[in-house]
Amino acid sequence: MPAKRGRERYARQAHNAVVGLTPEVIAKRTKRHLAELERSNYSEPSSHVGEEEEDGNYTKGRARQLISEKRTFNIPGLKKKKSSMNVRTALLYRKNFAMLLEESNIDGFPSTVPTYLTAQAPPSNYPPRLICSVCGYWGRYKCRRCALPYCDQNCEGVSSENQFEGLPLSFDKTNWCL
Amino acid sequence: MVVLVLDNGGSTVKAGILGQPSSENPRIIPNAVVRSKGDKATYVGHEMERCKDYSSLGYRIPIEKGYIVDWDAQKAIWDGILSEDVLNVNPTESTVVLTEPYFNLPNIQEVYDQFIFEEYEFQAYYRATPASFIPHGELFDRPGLPAPECILIVDSGFSFTHVVPLIEGKVVWDAVKRFDVGGKLLTNQFKELVSFRQWNMMDETHIMNHVKEVCCFVSQDFKNDLEICRGTPNNTIVQEYVLPDLTKSKAGKIRQPDDIPLETDQVLTLRNERFSIPEIIFRPDDIGIEQSGLPGAIAASIALLPDDIQGMFWANIGLIGGNTKFPGFRTRLITELQSLAPVGCEVVAYQSSDSILEAYRAAVEFASDPSFSERVITRAEYLEGGSVAVRRKFPDWQPPPPLREPVVAKEKARESTKGKGKQREEPMLAPKTRVRVLDPVHPTTRKR
Repeated sequence: MPAKRGRERYARQAHNAVVGLTPEVIAKRTKRHLAELERSNYSEPSSHVGEEEEDGNYTKGRARQLISEKRTFNIPGLKKKKSSMNVRTALLYRKNFAMLLEESNIDGFPSTVPTYLTAQAPPSNYPPRLICSVCGYWGRYKCRRCALPYCDQNCEGVSSENQFEGLPLSFDKTNWCL
Repeated sequence: MVVLVLDNGGSTVKAGILGQPSSENPRIIPNAVVRSKGDKATYVGHEMERCKDYSSLGYRIPIEKGYIVDWDAQKAIWDGILSEDVLNVNPTESTVVLTEPYFNLPNIQEVYDQFIFEEYEFQAYYRATPASFIPHGELFDRPGLPAPECILIVDSGFSFTHVVPLIEGKVVWDAVKRFDVGGKLLTNQFKELVSFRQWNMMDETHIMNHVKEVCCFVSQDFKNDLEICRGTPNNTIVQEYVLPDLTKSKAGKIRQPDDIPLETDQVLTLRNERFSIPEIIFRPDDIGIEQSGLPGAIAASIALLPDDIQGMFWANIGLIGGNTKFPGFRTRLITELQSLAPVGCEVVAYQSSDSILEAYRAAVEFASDPSFSERVITRAEYLEGGSVAVRRKFPDWQPPPPLREPVVAKEKARESTKGKGKQREEPMLAPKTRVRVLDPVHPTTRKR
C-alpha cells in the first residue's frame, strides 16, 4: 500500500441533480459507468505513459515523442531505416476504437456478412436482479432520488453520507424481490 | 527457417520460437507500457520484471476493447520481444505466427500486415484468431477417441469473452457471439467496490488484479452465498487479504488462520466481492450490460447452428482464457447449460490445464505441421498483392471484397434522398446484388 493513513473512503462522483431521474438519465449514467470500467487508469489518461520526461513532467510545447522511437531495442538483422508511410501513419496518428470502428465501414456490409457489430450477444432473458449499490446484498429498495438499489437502513445511511450530504432522504419501497 | 509464435493478448503477449526452449516455455510479457511513480521509471513490456515499486502504476495498453489501437506502444513492446533482451530473433529471416482478435476490423488488419512486412520485414506470416488454432492443440484429446468434428470454444480473456463454434476445424463466423466482459472490466469493478467499501484502491490496478486472481471464485449458488455473507457467524466465505507492505517490499497474500496479525498490516476484508465479481461473466446485466452472459451467449450461438448437429456442440465445449481459471467456473457453467440444453442432451466442458497458454501451445502445434509452409503468406506475395493477397489466403474472418463498396452504397442512398418513396427500397436491393460476390468462399485449407 502507498502511504495512505486512516480509513479513506472513495466517494462516488456525486450525482447532484438527481431529483426525478428519467430512464434516459439512468441509462446515460450506466453507460458512463461502463465506459469507466474500460479505462486503463483511473486518475490520469493512459496515453501520457511513456511520454513524460525523466523528471516526471510531461513534455509540453513540443511534438509528441514516440515511445517506440525513444526506446530502441537492438533487433538482430533489422537495419535502421525510415519506416514506410503506412507504418508512420499508424504510429503518429492514434485513433481510438470508436473512430476505427467508424472508419472500418463494417456497418455498410451486407446483412449476410457477420461482423463485430452482429456478433454481440443478445440481451439477457432473465429479469434484472437489483443488487444493493453499497453492500452487494439484494437491493430491495430503490432510492427515489438516484434510482440506485439499496438493501436496508444501514446502507441508506452510507449512501446519504456519500451522495446527498444532508439532503432529506426519501425511499421508494419498490419491493421488487423476495 | 526460424518460426516465431506470438499470441498477442490484451493483457500479455505469449512469445516463443519453434524448436527452442521458449517453444515449450514461452515468455509471458505484459502487453503494456507501465509507469512506476515509485521507481520514477517507465517500463516497456518485458522490462516490467525490473519494476520494484508496484504502487499506483500507470498503464498504457495498446489494445482497446480487444483491438490494437495504439501502434506506437505495440511496436515498442514487440521491438522488445524481438530484441536480444528477450527472443533475439532476426525477423528478416523468420516466419511469424500471430494471433488477432475475432472479427478484427479490416482497417486494423491492414496495419497488422504493414507492420509485419513493411516494418519488420518478416519472410512469411500467418495470422488467425486464437480459437482457430485450438483444433491443433490437445484440449479435446481423449485417449482412443478421434478428435470431435464439432467444437465450441469459450475464450474469456482480458478484453471480452467470445463463444466460437468450429466445424471440422473451421470457425462458423455466423454463429460467433461476444459479450463485453473481460478481466480488465472485472478488475476495474473490483477496484470500485473495494474503494467504496474499504480502502481507496482506484489507482492500484496491479495489486487488485492479484487479489482478484487469488481470492475470487465463481459461486455455485449466488443466492445462498449472499446469505452466508450476511450472517456474521458461520461466514465461511469471508477472507482477509493482507495488502503488500511496500516499505518492506512484502508481497500481498491471503491471511491464514495461524498467521500472527501485525498492527501495521493493512487488511482488505473480502465478503461477497469474492464471488460477485466473477458473477458478472454469468450475469453482465448485474452491472447494466445489456448482453446475456456466458450461458446465454452459448445457447444463442448453438441456436444458429444446423439443427442436426447442435448436440455435438453441447458435448464439446472447450474453455480457454484467463477468466476460466476462477475456481468453480466450469462446474457452474455446466449446471447452467444443463438447464438451457434440450432434454437428454449431454453437456460436457473441457477445461484447459493452462488456459492462458492453450492458444499459444495450439499455435505451436499448428506451426510444427509439415503443411504449415503452404499456409503462410510470403513477403513476395505481399509486396505484389498487398493486404488483398493476405485476405485471400487466410482462412479466418476477412471482410468481403471489394472493401470500398459500402461507401458507394452510402452515396447511392444519399443520391436517392430526393425521391423519398424509393429510398426504402434502394438499400434493400443494393446488398442483394452484392451478396453473390461477397459470400466469403475460401479454398478449403484444413485437411485432417
